[in-house]
Formats: sequence, structure tokens, C-alpha cells
Amino acid sequence: MTKLQEYFHTDWSAMTGTDWFGLVLTVSVFIILVVVFFWTYNPKNKEEIESHRTMLLDEDEIKSEK
Amino acid sequence: MQAEQQQYSFEVVKWFAYMAVVYLVVGTGIGVYIASELAWPVLNFDNPYISFGRLRPLHTNAVIFAFGGSTLMATAYYIVQRTSGVRLWSDKLAWFTFWGWNLVIVSAVITLPLGLTQSKEYAELEWPIDILIAVVWLAYSFNFIMTLATRKVSHIYVANWFFLAMMIMITYLHVVNSLAIPVELFKSYSIFSGVQDAMIQWWWGHNAVGFFLTAGFLGIMYYFVPKQANRPIYSYRLSVVHFWALTFGYVWLGAHHLQYTALPDWTGSLGAAISLAMIIPSWGGAINGMFTLSGAWDKLRTDYILRFLIVSLAFYAMSTFEGPVMAAKTVNALSHYTDWTIGHVHAGALGWVAMVSIGAIYHMVERLWGTTIWSVKLVNLHFWMATIGTAVYITAMWVSGIMQGLMWRAYDDYGNLAYTFVESVAQMHPYYAMRAAGGLIFFLGGCIMLFNITVTIRKAIADSSARTAALANANI
Repeated sequence: MTKLQEYFHTDWSAMTGTDWFGLVLTVSVFIILVVVFFWTYNPKNKEEIESHRTMLLDEDEIKSEK
Repeated sequence: MQAEQQQYSFEVVKWFAYMAVVYLVVGTGIGVYIASELAWPVLNFDNPYISFGRLRPLHTNAVIFAFGGSTLMATAYYIVQRTSGVRLWSDKLAWFTFWGWNLVIVSAVITLPLGLTQSKEYAELEWPIDILIAVVWLAYSFNFIMTLATRKVSHIYVANWFFLAMMIMITYLHVVNSLAIPVELFKSYSIFSGVQDAMIQWWWGHNAVGFFLTAGFLGIMYYFVPKQANRPIYSYRLSVVHFWALTFGYVWLGAHHLQYTALPDWTGSLGAAISLAMIIPSWGGAINGMFTLSGAWDKLRTDYILRFLIVSLAFYAMSTFEGPVMAAKTVNALSHYTDWTIGHVHAGALGWVAMVSIGAIYHMVERLWGTTIWSVKLVNLHFWMATIGTAVYITAMWVSGIMQGLMWRAYDDYGNLAYTFVESVAQMHPYYAMRAAGGLIFFLGGCIMLFNITVTIRKAIADSSARTAALANANI
């Protein structure tokens, strides 16, 4: 076993319920972040997302919606 | 202006904003006193009630929860109304949060000097006050969420997302970290013990920084920088990525406070690795705020309120780089338990949190009272005092901290420690005096702000009364 393999060696049989919960949560969060990143920077979504940039400068219009 | 006052619930915002400035002065004033106690211990006067150990938690509670909390409540109530186009969902609940939060602060002022403490950093208050904090915080969060639920516009502006993340996470963190078995009215024991207690403590401690002192104040930044600059935010997409990366990332960092302890080694490594990764969203947010001024940098020459906001972002970028570097094990071996940590905390607390709050409060005072600041020169003076005070403070602590770390790890040829602990304490004296001077400069700047906005508000009220009287006379 190389040093690197040894470092990353995991005794899967010793994993407790809490360990599995943490692992699943961590991997899920990572995947969600990747999805969010790609969705946000997909050129197709640029116009829709960036349309909110000026929201604060249009506050008078917000009031007129009342 | 009057129509706006009727459309929105601004009275409670005004009170929170004004009290925030009062607490800024009180909190930094206590800070200057305890910094002076460290430089000149005679100031303890052999009086336990004003000793460093008892006043230090009062200082941290005053600046974080009294000043920071009041600022967050003022700005969240202000922003959610303006970006949603509706009044607060409940005025009564808002006033409950105002009086409840101030009751928490008064309770801290009484109990901490008496030595009544849970001994948990940034969570010292005993269990009955913890319950009050939870109730008030939930009322604040519920009112904010219900106001958003009744909004007149479809989109929820990004500043509100940051406030929501703060509210949800602080509820969760505060409740779990404060779980304790009460044995008397003001004595309880944490339900956690040993290394688990330490991990829970720093899971809370770092996320008090991450969600209370960062997410909430980023909400402030995302509203007040574009408003004060009168420019759209540089990139809304960047703000979305900033939000999600910060929200998911910050919760992992706490373990970096416990490097080289009984905590499993991998936990500290994970905390350090995620800390380093957090530089990316943090700098993304800082750049997003600063680049909002693209094409309009000249505004900084004349707009002193904008200066506070932009300089706060420079300190935010600096301290969110410094923090991850200090989390790395090699650097942590030198920096941990030294004054470098105190310098880092104050780069964030004075440079980022206080400066962005000060900018936001000056902005709000002008709009809430429909006036202009009484003395722009005093705002300018305040800006320079805050900046110089912060720079002096953190420089003193950097030098002091690195010197401490180097002295503690120095060995002679025989493997004996080269210096005794007390020798390192003696070497700290000039830097402790310098730190007290830096803090004093910052504190005096806060006093100038309190004076300036008090005069501004009194003048605005007098002008408004005169206008009302003139109108009444004209009608007669």
C-alpha cells in the first residue's frame, strides 16, 4: 500500500450511522454546490439572474405596485 | 418622506439604529478599559467586578450582540420593508424584539460583572437569558419571514437571503450550543463534556462569526453599497454563488480553532481545508461590492459614507484571507493562543463589521429622518479615526502575537525553553499600550458619531415641528 493509499484508506465496515449521515450530507452538499455553480453561470440564465441587479434602484417602482 | 414613514414601520428601525450607536460607544469604551487593564494592571483596582476576566465577556457581548445585534435588527427591518414594498408584518412583534433584545443586554450588564457565566466563549450568558435570547430571536426571524411572505414583488433581493441564512443558522447554533442542565437560577452545566463540548463550542463560536458577523453584515453590504453609490450591484450571479458557497461552507470551519488538541487530527485538517476554500466566495463577495463602484470611483472623493462601506470591504477581504491562513496547521502552530488571533478578530470586527455598520447607519439616519447629516466634516473625521484606530490596533497585535509565538517555541541548545512565560508577558507591554491607544482612537470616533447623529436627529425633529407649525398657521 502506497503512502497515499494508506492515507485515504477507509475501514467501511467500521462506519457508524452518524458517519454515513455525515458522508451522504457532505457529498450531497458538494453536488448541490456544483449544480448551483453551473446553473448560475450558464449563459442561458445570465439575463434572468442579472435582471435583479437594478432592483434596488427601482424601489420607487416597487412602491407603485402597491 | 412622510408618506414613506406611513407606508413603512420605521419607528422601531429608528430606535434600533440609534441604540446601535449608543452600544458602539459603550462596547468599545469597555474594550478600551480592559485593553488598558492589560497594559497597566493597576486599573483592576483589586475589584473583582471590574477585573479583566469579568469585563472581557461584557465587552464581547456588548459589541457583538448589543451593537451588532441592534444594527442587524435595524437594517433587516429596514431592508425587508423597502425591498418588499410592504410594512413589517407585525409592529407589535417588532417592538417586542426591541424591548426583549435590550432586556437581554441589560441582563448581560448585570450578570457578567457578577461572575455569573456559562464559561462558553461568545455564549457566556446563563440559561434563563439564553431562553430569552431564543424567544426574541425567533420573534425577529418570524416577523422578517412573514414580511417577506406578504411582499408585493416576486423576487426576494439577495440581501434578504443573507439575513434569512443568518436567522436560521443562529437559531440552530444558539439552541444546540446552549443546551444545559440548570442547577440553580443562574447556574447550569453544559450537556456536552470533554472534547465534544469543545467542538460544539467552536462550531458555535466560528459560526457566530460566520453567520451573525458575516452573513448578516453581507446582507447589509448588498443593500447599502449599491444604494449609497446609486449603482446596481456589480454581478447578481456572483452574489448567488457567494451566498450558497458561504452558507454551505462556513459550518465546517469551527474545528480549525482546535488544532493540536484532543480533537481527532482529521477534523482539524478538514476545518483548515474548508477554511482555505472559503477564500474564494469571501473574495468573490468583496470584489462584488467593490466593483459596484466601477466607473464611479470618483464618488469616494466626496462621499464619506461610501468610504466607510468600501473600506469595510477591504478589511473583509483582508481578514477572510488572514483567517484561512491562520487555520492552516503550520501557521496555527505559531499563531494559536497568541495576540495574533486578537488582531485578526479585530481586523474583522472593527474593520469589517463596525465600518459597514457605521456606513449603513449614517445612510439610514439621513433617510429615516428625511434630513442630511449635521456635520459631514465630523463624518470624515470619524472615518479617519476609525481607519487609523483599527490599523494601529491590529498592527500592535500582529507584532505582539508573532513575537509571543516565537518566544514560546524558542529552545536553547539543551532543549530547554529559551524564555519563561512571564518574560513573554513583559515583552508585550509596549504593544498592549499601543493596542489601547488604537482602541481609544476608534472609541473616540464612535463618540463623534453619537454626537453627530444625535444633533442630526434633534435638528430633523425640530425642523419637522417647525414645518408642521408653519402649515397649521397657514391653514388658520
